[in-house]
Amino acid sequence: MPEEKDTKITRRFFLEVFGKAAVVVAVLAEAFGAIKAFIPQVLYEPPSKFKIGKPEDFPEGITFLSKYKLYIFRKGNDFNAVSAICTHLNCVADWKPEEREFYCSCHGSVFSEDGTNVAGPAPRPLSWHPLSLSPDSNLVVETNKQVSHDYKFSLQGEKS
Amino acid sequence: MKEKLIVLWRNLIWPWSPQSNREASESVVKNFWLHWFPSRISLWSMSWGYSLWLGTIAACLFVILAITGLLLLYFYIPSVQDAYWSVKDIDNVVVFGWLLRAQHRWAAHLMVAVVFFHLVRVFFTTAYRAQRVWNWYIGIALFVLTLFLSFTGYILPWDQLAYWALTIAMGIAREFPILGKSIRFIFVGGNILGQSSLLRFFVFHNFFLPTLVVILFALHMWRIRKDGGLACMDKLIHETRLKEIPLSPTKTYSLLGVTEGTTIQVATTEALDESNSVHASPHLTRRIALVFLVTTIVTLVLALFFPVPLEEPANPSVTPIPAKAPWYFLWLQELTAITTLKIGKITISGGLIGGILVPGFLLLLAIVWPFLDKSPIDAIGVWFHKRRRIQNIVFVFISLTVIALIIIGVYLRGPYWKFYWPWQPWPEIPTLF
Repeated sequence: MPEEKDTKITRRFFLEVFGKAAVVVAVLAEAFGAIKAFIPQVLYEPPSKFKIGKPEDFPEGITFLSKYKLYIFRKGNDFNAVSAICTHLNCVADWKPEEREFYCSCHGSVFSEDGTNVAGPAPRPLSWHPLSLSPDSNLVVETNKQVSHDYKFSLQGEKS
Repeated sequence: MKEKLIVLWRNLIWPWSPQSNREASESVVKNFWLHWFPSRISLWSMSWGYSLWLGTIAACLFVILAITGLLLLYFYIPSVQDAYWSVKDIDNVVVFGWLLRAQHRWAAHLMVAVVFFHLVRVFFTTAYRAQRVWNWYIGIALFVLTLFLSFTGYILPWDQLAYWALTIAMGIAREFPILGKSIRFIFVGGNILGQSSLLRFFVFHNFFLPTLVVILFALHMWRIRKDGGLACMDKLIHETRLKEIPLSPTKTYSLLGVTEGTTIQVATTEALDESNSVHASPHLTRRIALVFLVTTIVTLVLALFFPVPLEEPANPSVTPIPAKAPWYFLWLQELTAITTLKIGKITISGGLIGGILVPGFLLLLAIVWPFLDKSPIDAIGVWFHKRRRIQNIVFVFISLTVIALIIIGVYLRGPYWKFYWPWQPWPEIPTLF
């Protein structure tokens, strides 16, 4: 019957579809491989957890570690680490001691002393990072973690 | 001997200066370099006043950029350690290196401006309607590519401008919805700007973007021919097509009866005669050569008298105060600085609104504009047609807004992006606190 003949898959039809599909799969596989190559497998970047020095080396008040773009706050035995990287578009926010605020030079964001965004385009407060003490009594910062703005790291041993 | 040399010379350059009308007509067919020109060109298309020759100037600038860029490639080292110092060497050690770099940079700045003004010309003369919409799109793509070429170009010296421009651009890329982080990771080649970022932008600047420009440029030229030349010809072509064109007994205009009517090329040929057109060779070629000459002289003189700056080497810990993008991106910098939105508890960063949504919206507007345009068909190819007053005002308003933002960015923004009038002094900023 003619209807049956129409639904039958011919060799020509099969090879045509198979051939086109093979071309599509091959192109997609090559493209996938090429894009994958651009995603680095090893990052030769500095660690996100590192020592910043002995607690006693930090004076009372604010110290800027330009290498790590970090502000270290010291109040007695309490320490905070606040990132200097502006939450708008990643420029370095400068601490202005006379105004007691952080100013970003790229687009004019302003942050208060605790890193809260108070003016300008910054959508979020500056990041606070957790601190700890290494066995050789150095302060350690973890920049891949964030903590809330009531966080402080206290040195227990020297507290009394 | 002299005769032979003349013949040899004529064979080499023939028929750039044809000796007869017949040679002039044949030249565009016989000469490889001229094959993309029409045989005859109308006096309107040839006039300085209609097109202002902005497209030709842009093409000249691209050729100057390609040549100076190719030469600079011999002296530039795409490594984070050496890039800055190799550019310093180009400026101070390589003989005439400073001139090469200065001319490259001036041509780049001019190209952004000229391509923009070309777009403005096309808009005001309604040269983007009907079949020309494809060339409008190719032109927009070329404009965007010009901006990307400029951006990737000023990353290469790896000075303070480069480093912080890349920081900000990658910050904007991260604001892209959903895919932002992956886009940034792939373009940076990691999380921190460094060697892989520089090399990636180096290859974009020197291979992918210029290659795309060359391909799209070829398409741009091809479409002009297929669309019947410059838009100022459209009215005449339209009138000619309404007339009954007697078919030549020796030519198969209608593809042996497969298609009906005549092509736009036939109408163009029919419309042009001795009174309203000239041979493309040598009249058009001579004028293009003249435009090339003047463009080269202008870039050269600018390069001679205004040497280009190089900032301090890239320093990831210190952002320059103020950190400003080149003028053609300052309107975007201004937008990212003022468009952060707070709706209740939700904050949308200016990086997303000013850096992605606003330019994306403008691009979309340019794409849909030909379909929103309801001006009469005889406005095509006419400067400031009276029936287009409202859309011309809208276009001028958008352009002036962008220009105003650029002026604010260049002249009225000081340290920490604060607003200063030109007569207000900037405060002294200590370099490190």
